[in-house]
Amino acid sequence: MSYNYEELSWSDVKDMLRKWRETTDRKSESIVQLWEAVLEEKMGKLGNERHIILEQVVIAALDCGRMDIADKCMKELIAEFPDSMRVHRLKAMRFEMLESYDKALEILDGIIKKDETNPSARKRKVAILKAKGMNLEAIAEICDYLTKFMSDQEAWHELCNLYLQEADFEKAVFCMEELLLHNPHSYLLHLRIADIRYTMGGTENMETAKSYYLYAIKLNPTNLRALYGLYLCCLHITNSKTVLAKRKEAQTLGQWALTQISEKNSKRKSKTSNKYIAALDSAFANMDIKGK
Amino acid sequence: MTELLIDPKIRVWVFLPIVVITFLVGIIRHYVSILISSQKKVELTQIQDSQAMIRARLLRENGKYLTAHSFAMRRHYFNNEETGYFKTQTRPPVSPNSTAMLSDLVKGNFINVLPMVIIGGWINWMFSGFVTTKVPFPLTLRFKPMLQRGVELASLDAAWVSSASWYFLNVFGLRSIYTLVLGENNAADQTQAMQDQMSGAAVAMPQDPKAAFKAEWEALEITEYQSALKGVEAEILANINSSEGATIYHQSKTDDAYHRS
Repeated sequence: MSYNYEELSWSDVKDMLRKWRETTDRKSESIVQLWEAVLEEKMGKLGNERHIILEQVVIAALDCGRMDIADKCMKELIAEFPDSMRVHRLKAMRFEMLESYDKALEILDGIIKKDETNPSARKRKVAILKAKGMNLEAIAEICDYLTKFMSDQEAWHELCNLYLQEADFEKAVFCMEELLLHNPHSYLLHLRIADIRYTMGGTENMETAKSYYLYAIKLNPTNLRALYGLYLCCLHITNSKTVLAKRKEAQTLGQWALTQISEKNSKRKSKTSNKYIAALDSAFANMDIKGK
Repeated sequence: MTELLIDPKIRVWVFLPIVVITFLVGIIRHYVSILISSQKKVELTQIQDSQAMIRARLLRENGKYLTAHSFAMRRHYFNNEETGYFKTQTRPPVSPNSTAMLSDLVKGNFINVLPMVIIGGWINWMFSGFVTTKVPFPLTLRFKPMLQRGVELASLDAAWVSSASWYFLNVFGLRSIYTLVLGENNAADQTQAMQDQMSGAAVAMPQDPKAAFKAEWEALEITEYQSALKGVEAEILANINSSEGATIYHQSKTDDAYHRS
């Protein structure tokens, strides 16, 4: 994204950067551009926020591979806070960018030694392991981190993604559930658990996936992914060898999901998806429950 | 009753100096407290304990969204007799007389109490016995000891304020001005510190983890698992059935109409 630099005053830019900091937007390119175009010569005017903005710009510059800017800003920070943990972390991140991971790890270990309770250094270590492609080691590191910082949602989420990459669904579900405990009204989490359970397969998991899909639909009735997921689950259950009553129940639920999907789609009036739904419908109709 | 007339010099040499002195002392207090305050060092085990407590509390509150198996697994992790977290974690009891806490206490007293005593005493000695100002509304006699400290005149109207009382009014009344000048959460405001003292120093003191663990263990032990997911299926199924019933009825009606036509 590019901005009309002529129209932006430095205080506008300052506010923009603050907003991005607060919402943790990672708009690295925009930050670097704005820094070069507007803020750099106004550095003296930034007052209280100067150091925070410098830190933000360093991280953004490292993201974009702009070593010149990163080095310049870091020099300022190092001159003022030679012993600060945050500056040390930035140094480590610089080595990370240069892919000299050993040096970065050395600095991070130094930080952890000095301040055991520094979560960001531990997280950076995981990031390094991830960047090296050592997923299993990264998982071990996060697990170690989580025994100490048990209610760190970000870390649980990251661990879940790592487990999913390693296709260890059982543990991924555990991490997702941990997130769900923190935030039980987010339909996306219910949906993700249901997806993982569905992927795991098996009768019991199918039933669980179905209930989670249902809850996701309850929280957000316009959630197409959950409706499709519910339909697939029900299809699976009707096909399985469970009790007849359950199969019948699943069939009605599946039918209901289908009608919901087609209703939602007819509002959008896309013909192609209607075709798919017709195909799904016929598949469902063909598959009559045996022993009726 | 004749109106009392106050020498304008009292305004210049007593009334205004008291305001300025209290204000400046507050500002100095703010910067001194920034200078000598030390960052509180937190132990890793403390963080671990508090995060474990949060996790256990969330499990109690939102456990119903998990499957029975997942809930039991987590409770087992915390509460198992032999291997549970709350049973195996042993923390040394916190000694309240650790040096860090003691020095904090001394510092707090040094910043808050000492200046209050010294400046207050000095003001009392320096500006004693002046009637400085008058509140613009009549007051009952009960306000006399509050507003006329240092001036014990039975015939003086209660609306008049003595210099010592004016100092105390300033000490407690400058709070919003400090927030204006120094920003929120400044240390110049000592009424806040007094409130903290009132509510007991227990807030700042790290609680005994053993007792907290025991309470959480008990709470978790008696938590009964009730799935929130089961209800939804029945609910939606019932919805479907009822709506189907409605549509069938609807259909038969249209059929009737069709036959009639």
